[in-house]
Amino acid sequence: MPRVFITGLGFITSIGNDAATVAANLRAMRHGFELYPPFQKPDVPCKVVGTVKGFFTDSADQEDWTWPARYSLKRELIRSMAPHGLFAHCAMLQAIADARLAEGDISHERTGLYAASGGSPFLLHHHTDRMRKLGVMRCSPLGIVSSIVGTLNFNLTAAFKILGASGGFSSACASTAHAIGYAYDDITLGRQDRMFIVGGEDGNSDAILPFAGMRTLSLQTDPNLASRPFDAARDGFVGTGGGAVLVLESEAEVQRRGVTPYAELLGWGQASDGHNVAISHPEGAGSRRAILNALKASGVAPDEVDYVNAHATSTLIGDISEVRALRAVFPSARSRPGVSSTKSLTGHGLSLAGAMETGFSVLAMREGFTPGSAHITRVDPECEGVHLLRETLPNPPTTVLKNSSGFGGANVALLLRRC
Amino acid sequence: MSEAVQPSPVGNKPALALARPFGPEDEAALREALKRCSPSTFEAAVQYRKTGNPDHVPAVVIGVIERFVEPDLKTKLKEADDDLRLIEDLGIDSLTMMEIVILVEDILSLTINNDELRNLRTIGDVKTFIDCKIRGLPLPKPTKFLPIEHIGAVMPIQPPFLFLNEASVSSTGANGKYKISGQEFFLQGHFKDNPVMPASIMLEALGQLAVLYLLEGAPVEAGKMISPSMIFFTGCEGVRAHRVCKPGDILTLSIKPKRMKMPLATFEGAIRVGQEKAVIAEEITLTFGIVEQPVAPVPVREAVAAPAAPASSGPVNPPLHAAMNA
Repeated sequence: MPRVFITGLGFITSIGNDAATVAANLRAMRHGFELYPPFQKPDVPCKVVGTVKGFFTDSADQEDWTWPARYSLKRELIRSMAPHGLFAHCAMLQAIADARLAEGDISHERTGLYAASGGSPFLLHHHTDRMRKLGVMRCSPLGIVSSIVGTLNFNLTAAFKILGASGGFSSACASTAHAIGYAYDDITLGRQDRMFIVGGEDGNSDAILPFAGMRTLSLQTDPNLASRPFDAARDGFVGTGGGAVLVLESEAEVQRRGVTPYAELLGWGQASDGHNVAISHPEGAGSRRAILNALKASGVAPDEVDYVNAHATSTLIGDISEVRALRAVFPSARSRPGVSSTKSLTGHGLSLAGAMETGFSVLAMREGFTPGSAHITRVDPECEGVHLLRETLPNPPTTVLKNSSGFGGANVALLLRRC
Repeated sequence: MSEAVQPSPVGNKPALALARPFGPEDEAALREALKRCSPSTFEAAVQYRKTGNPDHVPAVVIGVIERFVEPDLKTKLKEADDDLRLIEDLGIDSLTMMEIVILVEDILSLTINNDELRNLRTIGDVKTFIDCKIRGLPLPKPTKFLPIEHIGAVMPIQPPFLFLNEASVSSTGANGKYKISGQEFFLQGHFKDNPVMPASIMLEALGQLAVLYLLEGAPVEAGKMISPSMIFFTGCEGVRAHRVCKPGDILTLSIKPKRMKMPLATFEGAIRVGQEKAVIAEEITLTFGIVEQPVAPVPVREAVAAPAAPASSGPVNPPLHAAMNA
């Protein structure tokens, strides 16, 4: 079966807008949280967001937006984008440069693109409001493509003239992990030679605040304490936005182009909880089966895994479900992998999370460290039996498990190996 | 927004808009809507909204179009004549066209239908269209672009004596192109070892464009038509040739009607090669005759083949080719 490698990365995240900054912040465990100005009102109970810096996208008029000067983008391009479309486009340009792809490699029948985001509630609201106020025929002609779920794949597939497979995934916080999994399949089945995986989220009020109704957001007012997966005092997740892009390529393409990949994607697995629309299974049943499926598909024994980049978002129930799944898969105290959640630094990127954190994991492999889990002052006693990394380790992991879980009880596990 | 609520002496009912005068809020909304247009565009829009004088409209429309044109193409718009094409010359796609329409609708307070838009190809089309909308005049016939097949089908003149490769016809005139191929039979003798397009033939080409205008663009009473077999040359005035035209040259021809009164139609015409003047004709006069339009045979409905079809479905306007990938 053809092997699949990750050869390029691009990041617009709360902890950095390029791979070098992201790597430095991951290693130093510097978070990207701020008191988010739109939340500093009495009627908004949560205050902290993992903010994207260097961009202004708080206007429904794309021509008001600003972005770092290194990107030169035309009106014609951005007029159909959501804020996260802009983030992802910039991340895409980074990933293309990082993978050293030529134009002919990008716009090629054997190159595809899978993307996921939650759409843009902010722009959707704006356009619907305009329709109601001014009439149906005054809707912006690009209102739909800039705001509905799928906006990322519409925009990027067109902008980069993608000729192969394209589409999106909508398993919420497991979306981009699903995208990576199915892209892996496309390459191993010989359907494509190269796939772009793109995750994005607006990370603004309209994207994050609806989660307050579910009581899943942290109400912490201290940016240094808000996101603390596995801590006994955790009280919910902190929202974030941004864009992340991975380039997946077949072994033949890696050899033909003579590039050094970050890591090999060994395989993946998925399983569903069959339990609840929004609450994860208390024993992490789906997550456990997803991990076992990934191990089996990849031919990897549990004791080979030395690092788990956890899904753990810092919610009360979710973190424990995952801990129980990990305990079930890695029972031996002797060969337990180190576990950390990089959401402790970035916040929870929802649809973006899977791609962003897979990117973090392979970046850490190349840069030679293992990311720690920040902001733990007292480990939740429920987390016993899991080897939590509370500091950055100075050596890279060899075999990494990346977990992702989404609404409806969707669970995806990816296995990566250092090259 | 001002937070202070002004108590109204006559209760809190809003003063109902009885053709409400243009107020400061309207001006603010207009300024916001036109914030990316030139100051003169805003000024013209304010003047139009205050006075209703349609003379201000062209400046508004051009200002709005300019705002959506990529910076490097804006110079084209500045020096533009009315023949500048929206898609080919200004790079405006159908989605941008919708953005332009919505903004124009917004600031001029009018409604434009999809099917009206389809015929707007040039800046001139847009200006005329908006002007007619605002003055409440019937819309002009759209500019028709005629490929050689169409020209051949309607013209009484045929190859090898037809000197038009393509043409566009509107109610105000016609434009055409002809490339001198070098294969024209008369070039063998005109001149010996030195093929030059005869000036008389160039005048003929202008005449042919005028014939095409009479057949495809001239306004005629409903039910009547100008007969292709009743158009003949009667005279010309002020013809001057300025440039020798040779094989490879592309002649750009234009004619405009000056007078039309049965049975005579008088045109002015010009031929250019690139930017160079080639031939000017101050007047070319044709005679023409009008006949009854033949009654088109009513197409037999496919009623037998489609019994389940709704009994009477009105004409369906195909949607603008805007969001076709939806």
